Amino acid sequence: MLASWKQLIFQILLLLISCRHINTTSPDPTPPPLVPIDSLPRDVRRAAFKGEGQIEKVELLNPVNLELVCTWTGHQNKESNITGFWRKDGLEIENSHLTVQLQNEQYQLQQVFNIVSEENLGNYSCVFESEVKIDFVVAVPQIGEIRDKPVVTYVGDSGVITCKMEDSKPMPNTWKWYKANGTDKEEIFAAAEPQRYEIKNNERKTKLLVNNLTMADSGLYYCGAVYTLSTSMGHVELKVITYYEPLKPFMAIVAEVFILVTAILLFERSRSKKNDTEGDMMSDQTNTLSPGENNGLEGSSSMRQRKT
Amino acid sequence: MPIASNDELGYKPLDGGWGWVVVFGAHIAIGFAYAMPKALSIFYNDIQEDLECSSSEIALMSSIMLAVMYAGGPLSSWLVLRFGSRPVVILGGLMCGVSMVTASFGSSIIYLYICVGIIGGCGLAFNLNASLNIISKYFLVRRPLANGLAMAGSPVFLCILAPVNQYLLDSYGWRGSLLVLGAIMLNCCVAGALMRPVAQPPSSPPEQKVEEQPNNTNSNLKESCLKNISFFDVSFFKDRGFIIYLFGSIMFIFGAYAPFLFLSAYAISQGIDEHSAAYLLSFMGFVDMVVRPGTGLTANSKWIRPRIQYFFSFAVTYNGLCHLLCPLIHSYSFLLFYTFCFAMSFGMVFALIFECLMDLMGPQRFPSAVGMVTIIECFPMLLGPPIAGLLVDITGDYKYLFILCGSVIFTGGVFLFVMNIYNDHMLKKEKNAKDREQNQKNMEDQDHKDIKRTPKAMMEQTEFEVTEDNGAQGDLEIAETPN
Repeated sequence: MLASWKQLIFQILLLLISCRHINTTSPDPTPPPLVPIDSLPRDVRRAAFKGEGQIEKVELLNPVNLELVCTWTGHQNKESNITGFWRKDGLEIENSHLTVQLQNEQYQLQQVFNIVSEENLGNYSCVFESEVKIDFVVAVPQIGEIRDKPVVTYVGDSGVITCKMEDSKPMPNTWKWYKANGTDKEEIFAAAEPQRYEIKNNERKTKLLVNNLTMADSGLYYCGAVYTLSTSMGHVELKVITYYEPLKPFMAIVAEVFILVTAILLFERSRSKKNDTEGDMMSDQTNTLSPGENNGLEGSSSMRQRKT
Repeated sequence: MPIASNDELGYKPLDGGWGWVVVFGAHIAIGFAYAMPKALSIFYNDIQEDLECSSSEIALMSSIMLAVMYAGGPLSSWLVLRFGSRPVVILGGLMCGVSMVTASFGSSIIYLYICVGIIGGCGLAFNLNASLNIISKYFLVRRPLANGLAMAGSPVFLCILAPVNQYLLDSYGWRGSLLVLGAIMLNCCVAGALMRPVAQPPSSPPEQKVEEQPNNTNSNLKESCLKNISFFDVSFFKDRGFIIYLFGSIMFIFGAYAPFLFLSAYAISQGIDEHSAAYLLSFMGFVDMVVRPGTGLTANSKWIRPRIQYFFSFAVTYNGLCHLLCPLIHSYSFLLFYTFCFAMSFGMVFALIFECLMDLMGPQRFPSAVGMVTIIECFPMLLGPPIAGLLVDITGDYKYLFILCGSVIFTGGVFLFVMNIYNDHMLKKEKNAKDREQNQKNMEDQDHKDIKRTPKAMMEQTEFEVTEDNGAQGDLEIAETPN
């Protein structure tokens, strides 16, 4: 009898342990753990409601306990209690509903989030009474200064693509480069193909050199600024064209110049021939085409004498 | 007082007809000459990335181009004197085209300095110099207007080339753009083809002088030698008017370009956004485009033409004053007003700068004079912007730049004005002295010729000759001040 009791207790214990185990490993994508882990530093961000569509940017580099505080002054008729909750990426976070008391003429919602990995980044919103909302965009620093126009290079030439993280933003740990392959991104390892690719990293700046370009090298290239939490991406388009592309307008313009110059010179020659024949026929008539030196001489004779 | 007159040319210039086609050709050639070095700055970022050079190294390319354009003046003058304007402009166009095409294959910045800077600059020098020369041959009465129209090429082409260069850069990258630009610059050859040479009459004054001295073979040789090396004619430095003009224009050129280059940076430092700051420069271009021909037309009028040197000194002074008042401006609307005044005065000065030299030196001496002037102006043009930039770096404030440039230009303008008054005064004195000498000589000749005549009759005759001289003088003055 004791043995069966022991077995039952052991089974119950086993059940309890496995349940706990299940609880901790169940895939729960949206809500981060609401219990803060004390070993991480705490980062507090506050925002007061100013108007609709308010977005606050939160730049993070490393894992932190992020405390977000929202304050709202409320409507004209201020109720003593209202409800508030949190959303992540548009989905309501479970167990985040709270009753907010009116304190110092304003309502305050605060919550601590565990930001430890890329999944924890996103759009966090605090909502009052389902109508007043403040968005917090929690992300790694984005690459701002990036070229929006494509880099144009030629077949056989070498092309350079640069990415820069602004001085006002924190430096990334390292840089990575990817080439777009359909919808996927393939990482570029310069060590694997040293003749084709060369990556020069310089804290805030990174350069990708592609040698011996071919038409296949055209496309989107992604530079990734690697931070502990995540990698922020920027893209630049590389366009590879042949020498024939600019040669076409070049030849067209050269042809135009040649035609115009020939036309002008021929026109002048034909006109001067006509003048010569006219001049022979009418000798005492002054030419209007060549500058009227006869007139000049006649007119200025008296003055010339005076000038000496 | 204008010195040039019909007899210096030996023929009556066309002042119209084909002359306007020549002005159009000159407009194109001068437009490329002034606008291309500035328009190349659109390629700087891309060339910098590809060739891995610093921004000051790439900016040096345009400076070399401008410097060679001005320094090539004497060589260009010599070629124009020997061959006429047309072959020189065609050669200039070809050189520019070749320079851009070869530059498109460049792999080092030094290579670009040589191709674009030296060869391109030389081509532009030929374009600029020869165009100015042909205007002086085709126009006399309407010359200020012709000059104004031709010089307007600079802002017009800058406004055209800036977006064209941007489009080319986006489509073909900097290499392809330089290739296509080379072809575009070949259009200077078309401009050159339009510059039909003016037929020289058989009996021109220098040749007459040679005929009058058949015995003196030494002087013949000397004159032909001097003609051949007349692009380094040092006798210009004895001409008071030339020296005054030279000093004034050196002071102007020293301060002229720096405010232009730093205007948008200054606007941004005053809190104006980048887009509006860039708009200031395009606004300047448009005002400049209109002001240059307008100034030419004004300078052509009956009241201003005889006093064109004073009009020029007024324009320079006005420009200096604009810069001096700029540091007091802090709001965008006032900055816009400053830009308007700056553009207006800048356009006025550039419309008149070569017209005044033509007016001073006359069409015969102008080719050599302009070569001299441009090579000397090379130095203040190269020194001005770096010194101004250094001042900004040291003091950290843009206002000192404007004060420096403004004071130098203002002093130059006042110097021109005062010295022109002095020069006119001295010229009048010299003329009166000369006239008195001439009258005395005539009287003596009369005495020697007609010994038989009564003294009374002789007196009457000399009085008659004196009045005849005065009459002819009056005719000439009327001819020089056109209706």
